Amino acid sequence: MGFITYDVNRYTPKQMMVIPLIVLILSLAVLGYNMATTGTLLTPGMDFSGGTAVTLFTADSPDMLRETFSGYPLISVDGGINDGKYLKFGPMDDASFQSLAELITERYPDAKIDQIGASFGKTLQGQASIALLLSFIGMAIVVFVAFRALVPAGAVVFCALTDIIMTAAVMTLVGIELSLPTTAALLMLIGYSVDSDILLTMRVLKRQGRLSEKLSGAFRTGIIMTTTTLAAIAAMWVVAAVGQITVIRDIASVLIIGLLLDMMNTWLMNAGIIKWYMQKGGAK
Amino acid sequence: MTGKEWVALLKNWQVAMLVILLVLSVVFIYPHGEDGKFTTNLQYGLDLSDGTWLQMEFQAVVAGFETDRPVVDFLSDLQKDLDAEIYRIDDQKIEIRKYFTRDELESAFAESGGRLTTYEQGVSRETAEQVKVILEEKLNALGTRDAKVNPLIGLSGVSTYVRVELAGVGLAQAQEIVGKQGRFEIRIQTAGNETEHVLYGDAINTVGVPTQEPPGSNRWGVSFTLTEQGAVQFRDAAILYGATTDPARHYLNMILDGNVVYSAPLSPDLAAKLRVEPIRELVASTGAGQEGLDAAKNLEIHLRAGALPVEVKVAGSGYVPAALSDYFKTMAIVAFVVATIAVGIVVFLRYREPSIVLPMIGVNLSEIVILLGVASLIQQQLDLAAIAGLIAVLGTGIDQLVIITDEVLHEGKVPSPNIYQKRLTRAIGIIMISAVTVIIAMLPLALMSLSTLRGFAIITILGVVIGVLVTRPAYGKIIMAILSK
Repeated sequence: MGFITYDVNRYTPKQMMVIPLIVLILSLAVLGYNMATTGTLLTPGMDFSGGTAVTLFTADSPDMLRETFSGYPLISVDGGINDGKYLKFGPMDDASFQSLAELITERYPDAKIDQIGASFGKTLQGQASIALLLSFIGMAIVVFVAFRALVPAGAVVFCALTDIIMTAAVMTLVGIELSLPTTAALLMLIGYSVDSDILLTMRVLKRQGRLSEKLSGAFRTGIIMTTTTLAAIAAMWVVAAVGQITVIRDIASVLIIGLLLDMMNTWLMNAGIIKWYMQKGGAK
Repeated sequence: MTGKEWVALLKNWQVAMLVILLVLSVVFIYPHGEDGKFTTNLQYGLDLSDGTWLQMEFQAVVAGFETDRPVVDFLSDLQKDLDAEIYRIDDQKIEIRKYFTRDELESAFAESGGRLTTYEQGVSRETAEQVKVILEEKLNALGTRDAKVNPLIGLSGVSTYVRVELAGVGLAQAQEIVGKQGRFEIRIQTAGNETEHVLYGDAINTVGVPTQEPPGSNRWGVSFTLTEQGAVQFRDAAILYGATTDPARHYLNMILDGNVVYSAPLSPDLAAKLRVEPIRELVASTGAGQEGLDAAKNLEIHLRAGALPVEVKVAGSGYVPAALSDYFKTMAIVAFVVATIAVGIVVFLRYREPSIVLPMIGVNLSEIVILLGVASLIQQQLDLAAIAGLIAVLGTGIDQLVIITDEVLHEGKVPSPNIYQKRLTRAIGIIMISAVTVIIAMLPLALMSLSTLRGFAIITILGVVIGVLVTRPAYGKIIMAILSK
């Protein structure tokens, strides 16, 4: 692809790894700051903190909607194209929710309503954290078993971890909340992330030939892999953003962020580590 | 390619398998017209089909206990202390059918001469199954198109939540039927504002359909018969509290989940009959007009199916209207088509060779078709999260086809069959490792009962399995056959 001019062989391992490491430190700082100020690494969305989300199509302006729902803990009104509106309410008791549901059904019969109780949200969040942790550990075990070499396997796992940390940091910065869909996206990211890392490691470790050739070959393949995936997800993002399908839009946003960061981590960090490893004579 | 070469290609088992699976999948998906509308056998979950979901939390606790006293004595003291029904699961575990915090239980256990060893909110597997049966009966009575009741049972065998999905039912009605315990009680006024318990819904034998009481009056009610024992209990209470002699000052209250559905003085007619013998036929009037009829219908459902063994609290709920679910479905398809086109363009820019790009996209799409076929075979519901899974499969699928292509076409030339086979094996080695990582990464989500992301995980795992076992190796053979021309 003509527009990518980066040459994996031009820089020393140290030079390659500097940029991702700086970004990693910045990301940790962002997450640390968030942890210190809000008490959570990532801002939990409605799925986890509890609340009510309403999707409806109406020509009424956000102010009119705020007026209509003034008796309820309305947090935000997001508008989209074709009159789609996305309303978020904070937690409320059962009686208020019942009356809210009746009000919505009466005024906007074609509204989608989702309500999560605060304690249920907490349980969901606990489960989601466990799922992320178990997935990550499972992935790490597979990688170590597959390569049976500490440095290359460690590099792949480290790269996946940095992908997640950096993506989480960017999510915090641009205000994407942690919800069930974005948890799914982070899990998908584990899969996508190791894809190109495994390709790189396999090519370098198992193929014959000069290191520089293997690296640039892997880079060519790896970049096309990530760009095709990015193209598919960007297309999805556009459709979902225009069509106000928040679940898919959120998943796509996280994946786009994650894949862009993954390109950097794979071809600077992981490639740097594996290059250093090979130059040290790590391959038998 | 000539006909002979096609036949040779089809003799490869993976290619043959790909074709067979494709055909079978189309059969399973079964696209057909029905009432002039295009439809398939695919099952849509919430978001993509209209309806309501409710997730309810059991207001009960499963607790482990230890005691030096005889277990029966300990439990009976505990029951008195807590004033709650206790169900003994096994020698170490009991189910307390009322919600208490851990601290409350710890002190209650200590007072009865025992010790609390484990604490988990929820009910035992048996109780959860019982709840499922009762709820299903209630939902059947409601006449929904499609209702699913799933107790979510954790690894410890304790079920904290039960999830109900109802096609084509509104949120308010669903909450009336499913979100309530359905505990029916008859109480009788003793003196002043005092009332005394007479019997619970379990003393009811048969239940009639809502009828107008009296006929033609537009006042609705549900008639029911008591069991023999229930009728004796009812008569004894009426006589004991003096209702039979002074019916006007003794109200009969019928209560559903703490709400009075019927309250009126005992009729003189009934009082006279009760003086002579137990009466089994009773009527609960629910009021006039549509409201009365709706209340009568709800009461009938709860009386018929009986009360849930434990109280439930709605933990989460949602409603998707038909207009929006259709819209989501359309948008999901649009997103999918646009994504496929985007992938096609990028792959074409890279290889600039239709004979590589077309099989690539073809195999990628057939993976999706086969995946949908499997999904409709195992009745896996497609919801928005599962659509995300499909897109994940599309993404990893194309990634891995790129790996195979680049590995096989190393140095831009088509290799001899021998070297080719070696390279294909190596490429498959790479995609196997990443496939196993994806499967392992998704496994926790697929096994976790609680998560609504299960569909996503299952679809992703299925897609990856189908991909690495059949379609992606088949692609390797197809691309070889095409390029060796």
